[in-house]
Amino acid sequence: MSAFFDIIFSSHFGYSVLRVSTPILFAALGALISDKAGVINIALEGIMLISALTGVIFSAITGSAFFGLFMAVLFGGLVGLSLGYFSLNLKTNVILAAVAINLIAIGGTVFILYLVAGDKGISSSLASKVLPKINIPLLQNIPGIGPIFSGHNVLTYLAFLSVLFIWFFLYKTPLGLRIRAVGENEHAADSVGISVVKTRYIALTISGILAGFGGAYMSMGYVSWFSRDMVAGRGFIALAAEAMGGATPIGCMLTSLLFGFFDALANSLQLLKIPYEFVSMLPYVATVVGLVIYTIRKTEKIRRIQEKAAEGGNA
Amino acid sequence: MKKLIVVSLLVLLVLMPVLIGCQKKAEVAEPAVEAEPVLKVVNLLNGVLGDKSFFDSAAAGMDLIKAEYGDKVEVKTIEMTYEQTKWEPTLLDIADEDWDIIIVGTWQMTEMLQEVAADYPEKRFFIYDTAVDYSLGLENVYSILYSQNEASFVAGAMAAAITKSDMPLANGDKVIGFLGGMDIPVINDFLVGYIEGAQYVDPGTKVAISYIGSFSDSAKGKEMALAQYNMGVDIGYNVAGQAGLGQLDAAKDMDRYAIGVDSDQAAIFVETDPAKAALITTSVLKRVDQSLLRAVKLHMEGKAPYGEAEVLGFAEQGVGLAKNDIYEELVPAEIKAIVDEAEKKIRNGEITVSSAFGMDSDAMNNLRNSVKP
Repeated sequence: MSAFFDIIFSSHFGYSVLRVSTPILFAALGALISDKAGVINIALEGIMLISALTGVIFSAITGSAFFGLFMAVLFGGLVGLSLGYFSLNLKTNVILAAVAINLIAIGGTVFILYLVAGDKGISSSLASKVLPKINIPLLQNIPGIGPIFSGHNVLTYLAFLSVLFIWFFLYKTPLGLRIRAVGENEHAADSVGISVVKTRYIALTISGILAGFGGAYMSMGYVSWFSRDMVAGRGFIALAAEAMGGATPIGCMLTSLLFGFFDALANSLQLLKIPYEFVSMLPYVATVVGLVIYTIRKTEKIRRIQEKAAEGGNA
Repeated sequence: MKKLIVVSLLVLLVLMPVLIGCQKKAEVAEPAVEAEPVLKVVNLLNGVLGDKSFFDSAAAGMDLIKAEYGDKVEVKTIEMTYEQTKWEPTLLDIADEDWDIIIVGTWQMTEMLQEVAADYPEKRFFIYDTAVDYSLGLENVYSILYSQNEASFVAGAMAAAITKSDMPLANGDKVIGFLGGMDIPVINDFLVGYIEGAQYVDPGTKVAISYIGSFSDSAKGKEMALAQYNMGVDIGYNVAGQAGLGQLDAAKDMDRYAIGVDSDQAAIFVETDPAKAALITTSVLKRVDQSLLRAVKLHMEGKAPYGEAEVLGFAEQGVGLAKNDIYEELVPAEIKAIVDEAEKKIRNGEITVSSAFGMDSDAMNNLRNSVKP
């Protein structure tokens, strides 16, 4: 048992929680924006995969990690935009269009990888670049906390800053208000002159951009190459994190960290004498428990509102 | 006028298959004129190329066969992709065609092959990295197994010697790492050999063991390898296909040593990332390519052991260690001597390495728990 706490309270562990949470957080924020606009974007997985490859290719061609990042994000945004085109202009079911994007991404990235790198598995023949890690002055010298929060990839910091940006954007800007209005009740929004289609286009594009950051992190931060299917379900985990986080930016951050915590825990606990099957079950058990707590709180809230309404009616 | 066009189009449509059929027949007829029969060998991969592991190696084996026999053979590699529903229909289609030898691999193909091989007794089949159940008959199937446990024994001996050496990146702890793809017999066969090899050099060596649960999630592989390196592992061994490449990235981040698997993994990075390649002390090779060439050779000589499973070890070049420039430069002479001695002892039968095949899960758990740090 002491070995268990040694792992949890080590700074390596704290550091790895933040690192594991980063791609999930980006994608969860992407899911949040589109959800707020009333569209469910399940194409996050595919967008991340496409962006991961784009980042590697362009950083290898230009020798600049930041140009690679720019292109990855641009492609993420474009795929988000195209999802909007299919669902809003051509009126396809958004779920079907997103499934199509995910499937295209799985095969298409391998195809492009083969064309560019001459390999169907991994981009190791391309000299792609990695985004830099940042040491935060002063903070890095604090024992215990410093090694946890300092020295992360630049995108990890951006992911957590994005939580603030997205919160500000959704709740403090006119466009954010419009996105929420469209999501709550599109007819009401339409009746006061908000263009539903335009607003949803914007939301899906931002969603794609955020997933693009997540994808770039996978291939240019987390590891230093692109490999087939490298996103490995993180885009879908993000959808769960967003739903569990109650569709708020802070909630998304907390649930992403929770998933990250249990993922990192599962990775570390395997080294102890605990059965492998039990350890790999942990992240999923955590999800179920989290959802149950969330649902209990929600029904409690609804019950209280109903009670209040009933009291009001009596009086 | 309109009617005429429609009718002529319909006629054309009806005639089309006939015309095409004629053309095809003419093509097929040509090679039949030749006196010498051509051995037709087809290799079905239940995945795609580019895994840097044994599918690539199997495809390389087909090239070796072509290079060895030239016009006497016709070879083809078909990627059935990872889509499992495509495997059985493809295998059935291929069995219906005029191929002489059909090659498949991995344990996932075993059951399908058992059914198909029984239905096509005149065809010859090779299956590598697993064996079919010969109690069903199957006199036309030759199973090729690799003694990965023996090669891993040597790797384990090397790792144990490195972790207690004074090599620049070795630390004081006698802990080595093992990163497996999944908790399955073929992966555990590597592990069993690795543990025994480590304990042969120093019974006090501890082995940190993690399973990724995937052969493609290299980010998770990196994460687990980092956890191992953080707890004091200074040399790790990855046996997880593409997911295991994450370990090599972790080795570079933490400045520790790594051991590759299946193919020479240092060769993947030696051009684009020499700093990473320089940490890969060696790779345990599973020579699917050599084993397929050997099998076809045996077939040509009429000596292929159909109806049997054969385990290929060091002697048959079925397995080996990649003793490349990095190994020569990095590993000190006394550790090389340990490696060579272990290999020699296995070759002449002085050491017998246990296998995970047939080991029950309790025994496996006990073995793992006995070496965990």
